[in-house]
Amino acid sequence: MSRNSSIKVTLKNISKHFGSTRVIDNLDIEFKAGTLTTLLGPSGCGKTTLLRLVSGLEPPTGGEIWFGEQDVSDYSATQRDVGMVFQSYALFPHMNVEKNIGYGLGVLKEKKEKIRDAVTKVLQTVNLDGYQKRYPDELSGGQQQRVAVARALVLEPKVLLFDEPLSNIDSKLRRSMRDDIRNLQQKTGITSIYVTHDQAEALSVSDEVVVMHNGAIEQQGTPRDLYRRPGSAFVANFIGDSNVVDGVLEVEAGRSAILLGGTRIDLGERQIDNLPGKIQLSLRPEMFQLRETGDRERHVVGTVIHSAYLGAVTEYFISTPMGDIFTTSPSSDGQYEKGKEVFLHFHPDQLIILPPARA
Amino acid sequence: MQALLGERRFRVGIFSWLLIGVLSYLVLPWFGLEYGLFDSTMDEYWDALGWRSHPLSLGIPILLLLFIPFSRPGRSRKIEGRLLVVLALAITIVLAADFIIPNRSMGLGSGVILISLAALFSYGIARLGFLQGDVFISGAVTVIILIISVFVFYPVLQIFYKVIVAKDGSLDPFQFFDIVSSFGIGRVVLNTLYLAISVGAATTLLGLVFALYSIRSTSPLRHLMRIFYILPIITPPFVVGMSLILLFGRAGVLNDILMYFFGSGGFFIPDGAAGIFERSGYIYGFKGIFLAQVLSLTPVSYMVIVGMLSAINPAMEEASLTMRASRWITLKKVTLPLLAPGLANAFLLGVISSAADFGNPLVLGGEYDVLSTEIYFSIAGAQLDFAKAAALGILLLVLSLTIFLIQKKYLSKKSFVTVTGIQTSGNVTPLPIRLQKFLTVFVCCWLALIGILYISIFLGGFVRQWGADYTLTLMHHKELWSNGFSSGGWPSLTNSLMFSFIAAPLTAIFGILIAYILTRKKFAGHGVIDFGTVLIFAVPGTVIGIAYIMAFNTAPIELTGTAIILVITMIIRAMPVGIRGGMSALSQISPSLEEASLLQRAGSFKTLRSVLLPLLRSTIISSTAYSFIRSMTTVSAVIFLASAGTNVATTYILSRVESGDNGVAVAYGSVLILTMLVFTLLVQAVTGRSRIEKQM
Ligand SMILES: Nc1ncnc2c1ncn2[C@@H]1O[C@H](COP(=O)(O)OP(=O)(O)OP(=O)(O)O)[C@@H](O)[C@H]1O
Ligand SMILES: [Mg+2]
Repeated sequence: MSRNSSIKVTLKNISKHFGSTRVIDNLDIEFKAGTLTTLLGPSGCGKTTLLRLVSGLEPPTGGEIWFGEQDVSDYSATQRDVGMVFQSYALFPHMNVEKNIGYGLGVLKEKKEKIRDAVTKVLQTVNLDGYQKRYPDELSGGQQQRVAVARALVLEPKVLLFDEPLSNIDSKLRRSMRDDIRNLQQKTGITSIYVTHDQAEALSVSDEVVVMHNGAIEQQGTPRDLYRRPGSAFVANFIGDSNVVDGVLEVEAGRSAILLGGTRIDLGERQIDNLPGKIQLSLRPEMFQLRETGDRERHVVGTVIHSAYLGAVTEYFISTPMGDIFTTSPSSDGQYEKGKEVFLHFHPDQLIILPPARA
Repeated sequence: MQALLGERRFRVGIFSWLLIGVLSYLVLPWFGLEYGLFDSTMDEYWDALGWRSHPLSLGIPILLLLFIPFSRPGRSRKIEGRLLVVLALAITIVLAADFIIPNRSMGLGSGVILISLAALFSYGIARLGFLQGDVFISGAVTVIILIISVFVFYPVLQIFYKVIVAKDGSLDPFQFFDIVSSFGIGRVVLNTLYLAISVGAATTLLGLVFALYSIRSTSPLRHLMRIFYILPIITPPFVVGMSLILLFGRAGVLNDILMYFFGSGGFFIPDGAAGIFERSGYIYGFKGIFLAQVLSLTPVSYMVIVGMLSAINPAMEEASLTMRASRWITLKKVTLPLLAPGLANAFLLGVISSAADFGNPLVLGGEYDVLSTEIYFSIAGAQLDFAKAAALGILLLVLSLTIFLIQKKYLSKKSFVTVTGIQTSGNVTPLPIRLQKFLTVFVCCWLALIGILYISIFLGGFVRQWGADYTLTLMHHKELWSNGFSSGGWPSLTNSLMFSFIAAPLTAIFGILIAYILTRKKFAGHGVIDFGTVLIFAVPGTVIGIAYIMAFNTAPIELTGTAIILVITMIIRAMPVGIRGGMSALSQISPSLEEASLLQRAGSFKTLRSVLLPLLRSTIISSTAYSFIRSMTTVSAVIFLASAGTNVATTYILSRVESGDNGVAVAYGSVLILTMLVFTLLVQAVTGRSRIEKQM
């Protein structure tokens, strides 16, 4: 269980069709050895399906799956050496914790004492030692979840899969559980794939995040990358909140500027890949400072159409020439009533220019 | 390490099956024995061994042994898999040809070889990646397809084949139309339909009435409805018909009473004057069958409707009431429309069951011919008109298959009763007061009638001659039970018990296995099993009966007259119970449990044994128990197949009815009912909640 035995997982040109529905079509992806990668995407985009393809529970319609340098496409789930934590935990209700965790070792015909020791050891890792004789229905949701993790870990699999493991747990506990999972994964170094709906969870636990959309990969990268340089309007909207607006890019003598609803924003010598002309930008809600005063030439002006006080921050919807903008601003910056005219200050470096849409 | 373990097991498996194949070739009879395995002489046994009497068959073990050099560790999986599949198929074809061409019947040995070939085939397809390489499930699928082919598809096809073979053995493709359009058949078909539709309508109406009464009335009488769950399970189908004869037959109680008052010399008739009443056989014919079927099938429709009714969210009715609708309007405009799919379902079930019923028309039919009895009479006795039986069988099969498919297609999914998983709250809306009063009277009458019927069955066994001489006697029971174990009722009863005892667990196992495969596995060939189960559900017993007679009376598979064929018939007839039980139990178990087990390196077999079976235990017990009861009381198919040595309880009773010994027949019938009752109550006590009831 050390980092040097971790393997990368590669899916080559993989497809999965259910009858005529093409859930996943010719997808290529690599999960780096020893990392935890999150699959993030809207409901029904194929995250679970992708996970099940890796586990071998679902045979692919086409394509190959490699664990390290080994083609495991023909291996069944039983032979593939993966551990999985199910959303519903899937603990065997008629077996106690010890039997549940020791089940796989029993299948492999390990000796009784050896099984007992292994179970104790793995229960210690998930802080549940002493619960060996409890039955699943005598455990809390969080404890069941940890037993499920322990069961997935005990066979020291090559790959660990999590399908929304925390979705049945209340939000307070979820925070500490996700840190536990993160620590465990880093300690064991098992290549892990983690499905979640919750972007905060995704950003906090993972080395890499894969944003999926309609069975295809929208973008893969570190959480920071994805937030700071979203590859598409979809990713910008999905990771964090974002206002996607249209603008016009002008380039003159190495200096570029952007026209945003009548306001011209000078970008100086910033390197931009897009061609001059119409472009899309992503504006994060927290990049704006709202002011009562400003320069009509350099700042966007708008009218507050809605505000909601949320304690530390206040949310505003502001009608501007570039469209309606959603912002959050620290409540200590003062309150703006509905109908009030405000200037939106921001630093030009914070403008995210989205790459041109792919054909 | 893990892979090597799998490899070793794989190879051990292959060699074990090879060994079984070769051994059974050496020591078990290759050909069928004329007098069965246990009654043949040593010489006959000796002669039936393949290598002694039939040198040609030596090819089989040689071919089998061919597996060995080709199946070595280290060979590529694909090559090895193909080799296994091709060799297994080739040997199967050679083996089949060896029996079909000379038209000789298979023996135990060749049967076992066939099974080991199926096993080797399964290892082959698993190696080729079928069902993700799972040998156990590949094997189960192969065996189930084999069984369905031999015991469902093949016999049913035989009916279609027999219908185009004329009496002299020549082929006559249009014979079916000749038979169907010949005199009298149209009437039989119309009779069947008319009866089935009337019975369907009547049982639906009555089922609805009783369901409303038991769920919605406030009368304490509603608890008595529980007997609806038990009586039809434990009562052989024709017994209701028999008791109707006791009450309403020519020598029945009603006739007696009427004669006493109005017959010649009766109470109200002056001495010497002619009576204004003659004994009459009014119960025979449509009226009698109708009454018997309505009495015995209403509980089924009751259960369907009760299920639907109790699933209706009371809030919907409360909503109607709060909108100022009266209870009547609510019943009419909300409750009944919500029940519509349930009612349609109950109706179709009633129609199918009536058309398939054999016992009641046989006992009560008189001049009123229906398809199921007409099939029986075309090959019972001297007629032996197989083509006609086959043609009628096809008609009946098509009829019930059509209805079954309609039901499956349109009604299984179209339920207005939404299962949301949200706890339904609110109180059920009681019936309108006047309706409830009326129903109470009606229900009392019905229960009284049922009570009288069952009492008459029990009394009937204790009187000398029903209708003529009501002196109490034990003679019928004595004749049955105290003449030693080899005469009277004992041989048929022990046969029934023994066959059902073997059939029941097999039914439960196969039922759960089929349910598991159908609901949890996807593979090529899924459709074959699916279609096979549809046939098993839909084929009426009579049709199975003639189909088996036609298929298994001659080589290559000669089974008629053996106990095996009866056990198989019982298994196939009770299979719907097993499958339904398995399906409903599996639908309660999340598939992720099995997946978790698979990911813990357990194969399908280990998963079934360690994860599913413990969770399915009560289902297995109740499936087994209910299959046992079904097998004990089944009649329509076994009546074609039981022979002198393999008579079972039901066929014995019917034969006594036919020879006019009604006293003995009802005495036996009442013992059977009591036995089943005790058994059912015992099982219910063991399984805790009465799960059997829910499986009907
Ligand atoms: N067995 C199946 N048969 C047919 N379609 C299926 C099957 N399993 C999944 N699908 C379809 O594939 C698509 C992707 O399903 P999947 O479960 O992978 O989504 P998901 O991304 O995990 O969604 P969620 O976030 O809601 O769990 C869905 O449109 C679903 O309807
Ligand atoms: Mg999912």
